[in-house]
Amino acid sequence: MEYIGERLWAGALGNTFVILAITAGLLACSAYFLGVVRGDQSGSWKKIARTSFYVHAVAVLGIVVTLITMLAGHMYEYHYIWQHSNSEMPMRFIFSAFWEGQEGSTILWLFWHAVVGVILIHTAKKWEYRVMAVFMSAQVLLNTMILGVFVLGKMIGSNPFTILLRQHPQFGDVPFLQNPNYLEMLDGTGLNPLLQNYWMTIHPPTLFLGFALTLVPFAFAVAALWKGDFKSWVKPTLPWAFTGVGVLGLGILMGGAWAYESLSFGGFWAWDPVENASLVPWLTLVGGAHLLLIQRNKGASLMWTFGLLILTFILILYSTFLTKSGVLGETSVHSFTDMGLSGQLLFYLGFFVLLGFGMMAYRYKDIPKKKKEDPLWSREFWMFVGALVLLLSGFQIFFSTSIPVWNKIFGTDMAPPGDPNAHYNAFQIPFAVVVALIIGLTQYLRYKKTPVKVFMGKILRDAVIAAVFTLLGAWSLEMKDPLLLTLLFASIFAVAANTDYLVRGIRAKNGAVGSALAHLGFALLLVGALVSQGKQEVISKNTTRYDLTTLDSNYSNAENILLMMDDTVEMSKYNVAYRGKRKEGINVYYDVEYIHPETKEKLFTLQPFVQLNERMGNVAEPSTKNYWNHDVFTFVKYAELEERQAQNEDKWSDPEEYVVKAGDTIYGNSAIYVFTGLNPVQSQSVKDSFGLSQPDLLVRANLLAFDFDTQSHLLQPYFGAKNARIVTFPAVSDELFVKVDFVNIDPESEEMTFAISEKKNKIKEFIIMKAVVFPYINILWIGCVLMVIGTVVAVTTRIKRSWA
Amino acid sequence: MKKLHILGIAIIAIAVGAILSALSDSGTYADFSQAFNNPGKEYHVVGVLNKDKPRVYEPEVNPNLFTFYMMDNNGLEKKVKLHKSKPQDFERSEQIVLIGKASGDTFEAGDLLMKCPSKYNEGEEGFKTEDEMREIRGAEAEATL
Repeated sequence: MEYIGERLWAGALGNTFVILAITAGLLACSAYFLGVVRGDQSGSWKKIARTSFYVHAVAVLGIVVTLITMLAGHMYEYHYIWQHSNSEMPMRFIFSAFWEGQEGSTILWLFWHAVVGVILIHTAKKWEYRVMAVFMSAQVLLNTMILGVFVLGKMIGSNPFTILLRQHPQFGDVPFLQNPNYLEMLDGTGLNPLLQNYWMTIHPPTLFLGFALTLVPFAFAVAALWKGDFKSWVKPTLPWAFTGVGVLGLGILMGGAWAYESLSFGGFWAWDPVENASLVPWLTLVGGAHLLLIQRNKGASLMWTFGLLILTFILILYSTFLTKSGVLGETSVHSFTDMGLSGQLLFYLGFFVLLGFGMMAYRYKDIPKKKKEDPLWSREFWMFVGALVLLLSGFQIFFSTSIPVWNKIFGTDMAPPGDPNAHYNAFQIPFAVVVALIIGLTQYLRYKKTPVKVFMGKILRDAVIAAVFTLLGAWSLEMKDPLLLTLLFASIFAVAANTDYLVRGIRAKNGAVGSALAHLGFALLLVGALVSQGKQEVISKNTTRYDLTTLDSNYSNAENILLMMDDTVEMSKYNVAYRGKRKEGINVYYDVEYIHPETKEKLFTLQPFVQLNERMGNVAEPSTKNYWNHDVFTFVKYAELEERQAQNEDKWSDPEEYVVKAGDTIYGNSAIYVFTGLNPVQSQSVKDSFGLSQPDLLVRANLLAFDFDTQSHLLQPYFGAKNARIVTFPAVSDELFVKVDFVNIDPESEEMTFAISEKKNKIKEFIIMKAVVFPYINILWIGCVLMVIGTVVAVTTRIKRSWA
Repeated sequence: MKKLHILGIAIIAIAVGAILSALSDSGTYADFSQAFNNPGKEYHVVGVLNKDKPRVYEPEVNPNLFTFYMMDNNGLEKKVKLHKSKPQDFERSEQIVLIGKASGDTFEAGDLLMKCPSKYNEGEEGFKTEDEMREIRGAEAEATL
């Protein structure tokens, strides 16, 4: 059948680039390899390798441009384009749509590798052959993830350029797609609304650049082992390793900031498996990069240096395996599906484990070992300890996050820890204490040996400062947990020591400013995380008049507040009132006013909202009030999404009759009524409104009703007679949800009969909200920024120095 | 003993500790019969909501209590008390994971995870047939008139 309007040229073009990229990449890899094995006096291998590499890089760029063109051209005949974009999507989200899917994110990763490769070729000098041979082997294998061909019945890669919607296994039988003119009527499913924000534009590229940068230290480490040259690889690797630390760290922190801003996990870090998967390689990279630094200043612990840098890249591959193989299943808020590529991913993982650790085993005997231990009071000893702590920290996270993997391997049915915060913090807080102390101490330690007395004298001042601030913090924040206080002390100590070092460094104009700044940032990040998370306070305790005693005492999570429309409820130091909802696009906003309890002045309004996300169900997104020293973080837990139906569906309970005299009190189910008296009604206009004529009798009863708010409401039911027939006109209160009917007058006993019924659907519109105060969370963000700036400064200083 | 030996022993001890804590903190997936045979022990139970039985949520009485009936994967049905607010979109859930313990006749859940049908996984839901497209286009045309 001929299909009308399909732009098959685009797929053909993209696919050509894919095949060209793989072929040229393989050629570059082989040429570099042969250049090493055969020797390359004439430089001809290098020429071939470089040319092939450039062809490869251009082809990768071609893949990127083709996919963007297809997205921009709304080519929904391609499954990838159909799945990730639609015609309504604003163009600024085109990049988000680009890397929303697994194929697109692989292409992004390939792209960064190509960019890094160009720089590497021109800076690696004599290491170019070996490093690029290793580098390109990884790039080619990654490239096959988008190859999309069947070999022996197994799919190798998933190719966004070859999978047409009408050929997709899920849609092959849909009759609509048998229409030759189907494209006319087709629109894409669009980008997941949850991902339609600027974080989706900046977070993935940063994270994937971080991923790409971890390949360089790996390639250098394997190249060094291959060559048997254990010294000269250190200098060119250092800036790469620390750039990786900075970029990957920034990528991870962006993920946290995104979660804090637009997801309602209740914080910026939730120990989610996907977050953990990229944190672990960052930890080992930080360890490895610092060991490189020791290596540069004083040869030591080479095995560990190689081990950590090789492990980092392997852990990056492992994290890709975790997120792309579907093994995490229900354990993550990120939903991932198995694309049938997990076998391929496992193969790559195995390949690089063998390559990296195999090389280490092969060179084990040749790698120089330390003859003498580092002295206790030396910088290198404590940096080494720090690296080991980072490795341990990574190991704990790795092991617990991998529980679904252990289940697969060992056939167990372990569920991930029920309280991830408690589980991970039990280990990570002590690790953080040690790391923070080391970050502070090492600024005063010299390489080789430090005179103990001088050292003690110097740290004493910072220790005293830290102790004072810790006590101050403990007192003002009412912190009692000894472990948290220890961490507070350790991280403030690190802040003090690094500030001190920074000031001296600026005065002395020495190059260590960047590192001191980065460490200061990291220490502040610890302080901020510790205080904001450790002292976070759920302020949305239920303070309504409703009885909560049915709550099982085993479950004290009374952490949600019920807000009835327009009722003012006390919440911590605010009075809050829910004022109603409004729908904008696919978001339903709930306006919650915060009022000063004494002055009754309106302070601010927060608008937590629910996104009606047809892809993932409804997603609650938070609304936060930022103060300089704390955030009030709120989100809706439960709310009505649709407008209420009109009130004509009111259902009333069976009336209860009460016989009273003037001055008596009626004790109703939901209110107390004081019957104050009767008034005969003469006014013709009132009579008219009831359809009565002048001779008809009409009396009004006055009841003062008090609900449990002790607010009074006047209810006035009428009783009358028309043509000798009794007529009654009940009073209805929308606030009390009651109807009072005046049904009888006994003139002799002067007793009146009232029938009171209650509205069954009496619940006013309400929302259930959770509100958390995060104190001093700004310290955390300041720490993040300083850490990134510090890393940039440190790396540029190092690069400048190596050029000089 | 050398410093490195001490370090080595400490590292191995902590690593073993990390493994043991992961094993002890991890929950166990089970069905209702196992959970009700061991009341008071925490389990993760996977199942589906029984939509024919009442789901009771009275936020004006207790916003942190939601009662419903769930059938586990073996078809055994139990009353569940969730000590949290009713999850938004609850009726749409395809699968539920309860975290909690059995107590008497009810399963007291402290937490609940839901799996909702998602277009991301399936694709078909967002797919429109020719007729549906015509309907949409028709509606659009009317709206522009």
